[in-house]
Amino acid sequence: MPGKTPSSNGNEPLENGVRNGQDVEMKDGKSKGKKGVKDSEEEMTVVVPPTKGSKQSSGGPTPDTDEDTTMDEDKVNDEAVKVDPVAQTVAEIKGNFALLDRAVALFDARFSLRALRSISLFRKRLDPDIIAQAIVDTFPAMVTSGLAAKQLLIAIGRENMPLGRSGSSEMEVDNESSAKTPKNGATKEVKEIIPEIDIFLGILIQVYLFDSKQFQRGAEFSKYLADRVQSLNRRTLDSLSAKVYFYYSLFCEQLAPQPPSPQSPVVSIRPTLLAALRTAVLRKDIDTQASVIVLLLRNYLSTSHITQADLLVSHTQFPENAVNNQVARFLYYLGRIRAIQLRYTEAHEHLTAATRKAPSSACAAGFSATTTKLLLVVELLMGDIPERSTFRQPTLELALQPYFLLVQAVRIGNLGDFETIIADHADTFRRDGTYTLILRLRQNVIKTGIRMMSLSYSRISLRDICIRLRLGSEESAEYIVAKAIRDGVIEATLDRERGFMKSKEVGDVYATREPGEAFHERIRACLALHDESVKAMRFPMNQHRLELKNAQEAREREREMAKEIQEGDLDEDDLGGDFDGM
Amino acid sequence: MADRTLQQILTQLKTRGPSLSYADSLALLSKAKLTLLQLHALTPSSSTPAHLLPLARETYEQGALASIRAHDPDAFTHYVQRLQPFYELPADVLPPNAPERNKVTGLYLLLLLTEGRYAEFHSELESLACRDSGGDETDRYLGYPIRLERWLMEGSYDRVWKAIQSREVPCEEYGVFSEILTSQIRSEIASSSERAYPSLPLSSTKSLLFLDSEGAVVEFAQHRGWVVRDGHIYFPDPAEAGDDESGRQQKEVSKMIIENTLGYARQLETIV
Repeated sequence: MPGKTPSSNGNEPLENGVRNGQDVEMKDGKSKGKKGVKDSEEEMTVVVPPTKGSKQSSGGPTPDTDEDTTMDEDKVNDEAVKVDPVAQTVAEIKGNFALLDRAVALFDARFSLRALRSISLFRKRLDPDIIAQAIVDTFPAMVTSGLAAKQLLIAIGRENMPLGRSGSSEMEVDNESSAKTPKNGATKEVKEIIPEIDIFLGILIQVYLFDSKQFQRGAEFSKYLADRVQSLNRRTLDSLSAKVYFYYSLFCEQLAPQPPSPQSPVVSIRPTLLAALRTAVLRKDIDTQASVIVLLLRNYLSTSHITQADLLVSHTQFPENAVNNQVARFLYYLGRIRAIQLRYTEAHEHLTAATRKAPSSACAAGFSATTTKLLLVVELLMGDIPERSTFRQPTLELALQPYFLLVQAVRIGNLGDFETIIADHADTFRRDGTYTLILRLRQNVIKTGIRMMSLSYSRISLRDICIRLRLGSEESAEYIVAKAIRDGVIEATLDRERGFMKSKEVGDVYATREPGEAFHERIRACLALHDESVKAMRFPMNQHRLELKNAQEAREREREMAKEIQEGDLDEDDLGGDFDGM
Repeated sequence: MADRTLQQILTQLKTRGPSLSYADSLALLSKAKLTLLQLHALTPSSSTPAHLLPLARETYEQGALASIRAHDPDAFTHYVQRLQPFYELPADVLPPNAPERNKVTGLYLLLLLTEGRYAEFHSELESLACRDSGGDETDRYLGYPIRLERWLMEGSYDRVWKAIQSREVPCEEYGVFSEILTSQIRSEIASSSERAYPSLPLSSTKSLLFLDSEGAVVEFAQHRGWVVRDGHIYFPDPAEAGDDESGRQQKEVSKMIIENTLGYARQLETIV
């Protein structure tokens, strides 16, 4: 491939094209024996390699090695051979063990993360038999690991399945999952099963129990799993244990007296979570730390313990390089706390960041809808009117409908409309947890109303203000207008003897410092974005040493590097030309 | 036996509550608390006998009311915190007594409001929203502070004034705060009047500030540094006072711009 391509622009599509060709072939082979539904899922797995390839060629932040890709392809190949969905899912699950093995060997959490991500691909197909099959196939009938396996089997109610039906190595997935030759892998049984695989299977069980709504069992099993994770103390387990706690807390939330009631089980798991947080901080376990902080905040807010949540935030430090999704969640909860505490500017900042960090795909539509709702209310409370385009996003349009009406009422400053909207949509607002915040908006509606009137009339009687805003009495109107003048909402004076409000001329906005401040704000956001992207670049540990060991690989790498340098040279030449010209 | 003494103290506190002097009720309360300690019922735990829980809760509630009557906000806050674990017990362990609870919570809200601790006020409000029994503004005790806060925020001071004066005050303990609230709204009105009116006739200022006589108005005006001339009040011009300040601000603006520009230059250098 190197040398054939004159420029980096042409390179990527070409490479992708080659890989795509392979993949399409494989898919064709498979689709003969498959149903349509499954096929779409397969496509998802198949699409993975090309994106990786393109990243690789462009020297992107995730320099996955070739070995990696081939392994994935192996997996895909295996799947292509099988037709039986059970065996295929089992194979998929076991394909992930290879990733976990690599995560331990290379001490690189990215592989565990990828294994966790792949759960969503076969989540819908999980059932006790499949998981039991995977467990039975994986664990040899040894006393030490047998105990752990037994626990897993009990959790899904398949405790009477015999262990060690086949070997433990994932290289022979083909033979194993066909389960025709149980003695095949016997020679490799000496190899210890790494705890990561154990916990990974545990997470699968959690996922299954959650999806099948067996919350009580799930909570009990999660407790066992959390204890186990805690006792193992392996750094390579970090991202897995974060997931374990996540499901643990999720189960508790679903149990009988649900959150707002103070007897809910969420209250009773707080000590466990706090202990987990403490241990995570001590072990510098960033994944668990981030996820447990988020869980605790969610926990406190679900029972409206705002003060405790605020104390938690002020006494802990959220890890800087946590996973993006956790950061988004944390920012949302933080924004919520600040909004309740009337610190709108901070709340606005956090919530804007949360909406930006939220994944844009449809699977996170719920999160972005919730965040956007809260952000809209906070914007209104700050006296801003949200942009109309916010309400036009196709995924959010329906969810934001009541808020759209609300914004309209606030914008016009019509107290009557505002109150009818609150009455009409009270249930929606209560469900979204924005009701109390929206009630605070009343004063903003009045202020906007006064501002509109001050802009349109140079002089207006207090009686008219009172009638238009539907205030109780003229005295109220007088006090309210006086307060608005003091708060700087309008530029006007009052005449008490004759009972009118007289507006002053409005100055030129561009003579103030406001445009400069807005400009500064934007520049700062851009610079921060740049800094963050620089920080986000990844340099895997010990990668170079590994390459040296493998001469073949190293040569390949060298070739690739040469290619990259060539491209780089080209680029530099281009740029250099420009600079010479200058 | 011990719980019988406790019962006696409680009935004494309840029947003669308002007429007792603070020192007397303090003595009774500390005796009650000692008894509770002996019975291991100071804080609810799983081993606490169920019949003692309502007694303990009532002791604290009486203590809270007594400390409010004696204008002792710290003691009151302490009792409120003490009550929290009792209120969170499930209904089948300790049957809830909503009116008393709402009374105490309402008083606590009012205290937060008069002390200007709005963040805590709203945090407390948020937890009311998810309370299952009557945690609403329709409640007599809770609605009062919630309405007051709303009126204060939007500036309908006349309604606040009316609410304080009239029989809307739910019970006598709430009256304790009326005085604080009056002076609070008066200073609010004064500061907004300074900006809103060029001048005010003395006679109407009386009703504006809810004062009793014109003499009181003159006194108040002097206190705030207003000039009284020919039956009118003239406010000191804020522009005059802020003249040199605006000059300093101008300087600050240019300094800020220079600072920002230098900052951009430095950042650009690191990028390129």
